[in-house]
Amino acid sequence: MKINQLLIILIAFSLGLFSCDNSESPIMEPDPASDGFIEINGGGATFPNMAFINLRTGEQTTVQRQRWDLAFSSGSDFRVLINGTTGAMAYETSATDLNQVGEAQAADLRSSGGLDMTFNNMEAILRVDNPANPLNQPIISPVSAVQADNKVYILNRGSMGADERPWKKIRIVQQNGRYLLQHADLNATTFNTLEIQKDSDFNFVYVSFEQGKVDVEPKKSDWDFVWNAGTSTTPFPQAVNGTLAYFFQDLVFHNIYGGVTAVQVLEAEISYDNFNESHLSGLTLVADNRLTIGSNWRGGGGPNMAPTIRNDRFYVMKDARGNFYKVRFLSLTRDGERGRPSFEYALVKAG
Amino acid sequence: MYRINLNKIKITFSLVWLMLGVALADSGQRVQIVDERGKSVPFAAIVWGEGKGVVADTEGYFSLDNIPSSATVKITAMGYADREVLLDELKSLKKVILQSSLSELGEVVVTGNFGPQSARQSTYMVRTIDQQIIQSRAAMNLQEVLNTELGIRFSQDNALGSSNLEMNGLSGQNVKILIDGVPMVGRQGVNNEINLNQIDVNMIERIEIVEGPMSVIYGADALAGVINIITKNGQGVNSYSITARIQEETAGNEYSPFVGQGTHIRSIGGAWRQSEHLAFRGGFTQNNFGGWKGGDEGRQHRWLPKSQNLVNASVAFTQGDIELDYSVDFLDETINSLGPENRLEVIDTDFITTRWMHRVNGRWEVKPTFQLSMQAAYTDFQRETQTWVTNVRTNERNLSRQQGSQAMLNYQGLTFRLLGNWMLSPKLTLVPGIDVNTENGIGDRISENTGIQDYAAFITGEWKPTKFLQIRPGLRKAYNSAYEAPPVIPSLNAKVALSTHWDFRVSYANGFRAPSIRELYFDFFDASHSIRGNPDLVAETSDSYNFSFSHEKAFQPYTFKFALNGFYNDVRNRIAFTIDPEDPRITTMFNIDRFRSQGLMANAGFSGKQWSAELGTSYIGRFNQLATEQVALPAMLYSPEVNANLSYTLPSLKTQFNLFYKWTGPLPAFQMQLDGAGELRPMEVELEGFHWMDFTINQPLKNGIRINAGVRNALNVVDIESTAMAGSAHGGGPMRPMGVGRSYFLGLTYQLSK
Repeated sequence: MKINQLLIILIAFSLGLFSCDNSESPIMEPDPASDGFIEINGGGATFPNMAFINLRTGEQTTVQRQRWDLAFSSGSDFRVLINGTTGAMAYETSATDLNQVGEAQAADLRSSGGLDMTFNNMEAILRVDNPANPLNQPIISPVSAVQADNKVYILNRGSMGADERPWKKIRIVQQNGRYLLQHADLNATTFNTLEIQKDSDFNFVYVSFEQGKVDVEPKKSDWDFVWNAGTSTTPFPQAVNGTLAYFFQDLVFHNIYGGVTAVQVLEAEISYDNFNESHLSGLTLVADNRLTIGSNWRGGGGPNMAPTIRNDRFYVMKDARGNFYKVRFLSLTRDGERGRPSFEYALVKAG
Repeated sequence: MYRINLNKIKITFSLVWLMLGVALADSGQRVQIVDERGKSVPFAAIVWGEGKGVVADTEGYFSLDNIPSSATVKITAMGYADREVLLDELKSLKKVILQSSLSELGEVVVTGNFGPQSARQSTYMVRTIDQQIIQSRAAMNLQEVLNTELGIRFSQDNALGSSNLEMNGLSGQNVKILIDGVPMVGRQGVNNEINLNQIDVNMIERIEIVEGPMSVIYGADALAGVINIITKNGQGVNSYSITARIQEETAGNEYSPFVGQGTHIRSIGGAWRQSEHLAFRGGFTQNNFGGWKGGDEGRQHRWLPKSQNLVNASVAFTQGDIELDYSVDFLDETINSLGPENRLEVIDTDFITTRWMHRVNGRWEVKPTFQLSMQAAYTDFQRETQTWVTNVRTNERNLSRQQGSQAMLNYQGLTFRLLGNWMLSPKLTLVPGIDVNTENGIGDRISENTGIQDYAAFITGEWKPTKFLQIRPGLRKAYNSAYEAPPVIPSLNAKVALSTHWDFRVSYANGFRAPSIRELYFDFFDASHSIRGNPDLVAETSDSYNFSFSHEKAFQPYTFKFALNGFYNDVRNRIAFTIDPEDPRITTMFNIDRFRSQGLMANAGFSGKQWSAELGTSYIGRFNQLATEQVALPAMLYSPEVNANLSYTLPSLKTQFNLFYKWTGPLPAFQMQLDGAGELRPMEVELEGFHWMDFTINQPLKNGIRINAGVRNALNVVDIESTAMAGSAHGGGPMRPMGVGRSYFLGLTYQLSK
């Protein structure tokens, strides 16, 4: 009987989501989960997945990192991200016509390794989206309404923990309030086009060159953080700006574009167990740096170093609905294998 | 006025006489010179009167024809006690027996020579660390014996619990580690960075160190020099002997008796001569180091716990002109690396090394003037990495499923050496040899390969044109299956006896270091690494020049020694990591760098009845790699060292007090770093210098018992600071581990022999 009731509520809820805006149907929303333990399904040793976590429902949505190539922002202006979760890199050519770009324009990049994510590439940071806040500083310049301003980019789709695929040439323009993507293999003389319509329920609309529009992120209000691998940075004196773009596994981004904020708390200041609503006022939650959790929650994992979580810290997050959670990671591994970390969390204050 | 010096003419004359001696001594009555076993002694010098003489032939025969009656004849031969006989006595004899005497040789060395030879007579400058010093250091491993030697520096790899050595500014990859002349196999394959601490220190008779390339004789990797570990062998034992040792030592201020924290050594060995033909020897040593946390809380150790079981056994057989011995060494080592605390899973790693080393040594005296020696060795080295996961909540313990966390490395090395020693005349000895080394390596991160086979032939020889000059040229030609072996490798050593107390040695040699299996076939690709070996690597080669002046003077009971030596190494084709020009995504290795090292060393020693003292200093320069691009930088970066050994024996109680000290000076380097303005520029960094001191007391008691006690690392060295910034992606702290702090030990040794 109870199950049936629950089912009905769920159906009603999903219909509700389907039919009307969230904010208009708060009655349908179940209470946020008060605490939980989640083992993230990263897919194991080769960490193939992005796992989007929803603390309120205690659910996770997994998508293969390699599933998409470009993310088109649903925000007010026209911005496009490349797939940092495979270590993709892009290079801006001076051309505005796809047919003017071929292997000749890529020759230097091929021989110098300038478009490959390696620790030998001292300029890699100049060819990737800003890892901390990609929309703020995307490698593909914001798509201009002036067609002639939109350059052709050479794109390495990324092969970090992903299949190596041929480089592409792409160009994105605006057309009737939509994005228009032109893409082709580097040496092709014809190209494909794809029109992309923004969707305000989502942070981004995701596109794969092979499959067109693909589902990746849940709706922007339905996830709090994503566990994945991806491009981040590490200080390195020889690299441009002293910063080396470096591919990390076990990266955690909180949903900065969906209104989620987060902050790190050290056990030495207040322990996870003792942390309660009264401690919230002293915190400054970060809204513009998705690397706030990043790789800070873990250590080791290099050659001859056991991977480990950092026991001395935990995180406080506020979701888009104003619920405050404390989150602490329990394990970087399962049975010693990376790619299935786990964490526990508890509601500190309901929104 | 010019006067003819009759004495000089006499000497010249007698030298000619000596040279012709072989030819002349075959008429009239002949006498044979033999050793105590009845074997002939070739080329003994028979001298009478004022420098007249003859030389015995290859069979030990000489003629009495030219010897004036009533003369006293003095017979001398290398390795035998001098003997004086009256001619009349000689006439009544058919054979003169010479007593062989190793003590006659003084300090004995074998490295680079066919057999044991007087250190003073050797054309190589050999540093020897003898049994007495090894014992008085009460060491657990070789590092504790060698860490106050000049020119040798150790660095600790605490992630793996092993250590690396550097000699005269060149990395351990350039130092050939031999056990009785047989190359060792380690984690990186044959002789590439052997962990010296995987050798049982209790089976060592002495250690011989030769600086400068010995590539002609020992082949690859003997570029910086050779460390030859001479074991106590089965030959020449008394009827039986038993040795037992137990020692307890703190690790800094951490200690628990007999198990756990601290260092615990137990060793037992024995030798038995069953008959004049057969002798046996065996030993078992257990070294347990409980690790060191250095006051840190938690599970992790700063120095990893290590336990070693070392077993060795040998049998020696002698019959007539043949000596043969077989020995087997077994090592079982486990290093435990406990992972950090975690809320759910803790991950621990064990590194388990198993090594079997079989050696056969043979020696056959074909003729008095021709001997053959053979060495064959087979080493099976296996290193296993086991990663264990423990669930903190359920206490379940399982092997980790992480890819690469269970790993196995396996190296097999086979060595075969055949050496001849052919005395052509008293002045010329040829030592031809062949040297076969094969090596196979399989393991994670090593791509499939067919191993490395190296076949070499070499010839050296010693020519003594005059009494005071020895010249030793050498050539080696090798074929290698895996990389292009250097063309003919030459060497030239010379020794000049400047006076009865002064010797001068000079040498030029080509050295080479072979690319290791790892450098050729390494294969490591993951999310953030793309590193590959390069099967097209060639050997690193060097031109090296060494010289030494040495002085030794004894006026009983005092001995005074002094030595000054210098070296210059110019290494070409040095293997270094670089980007693969064909695929910029891949890091690989190429023969691109050039390196130089040069230095001077001096030491003086004095020993008397109760006191002995040694003082040494060195000043070694290493090439500054950045100077190739930045001309303004100094090309050589120098680091000084000073060492001192002091020993005093209390006459009444025979208590021996020993002090070992070394100051390892700061080591400068240049690194590219960002300055305040964000510009990348070379900046000088420096590895801090440190003082190391051990103090030991040996007290012999009755019944063969001896007590050892002392303080190791008396100056309490723990980490030394490197002002280097954490430059690499994996970081690297500014502190380098050097010791576990001041440690105290107490041990008992029991020795019984008959």
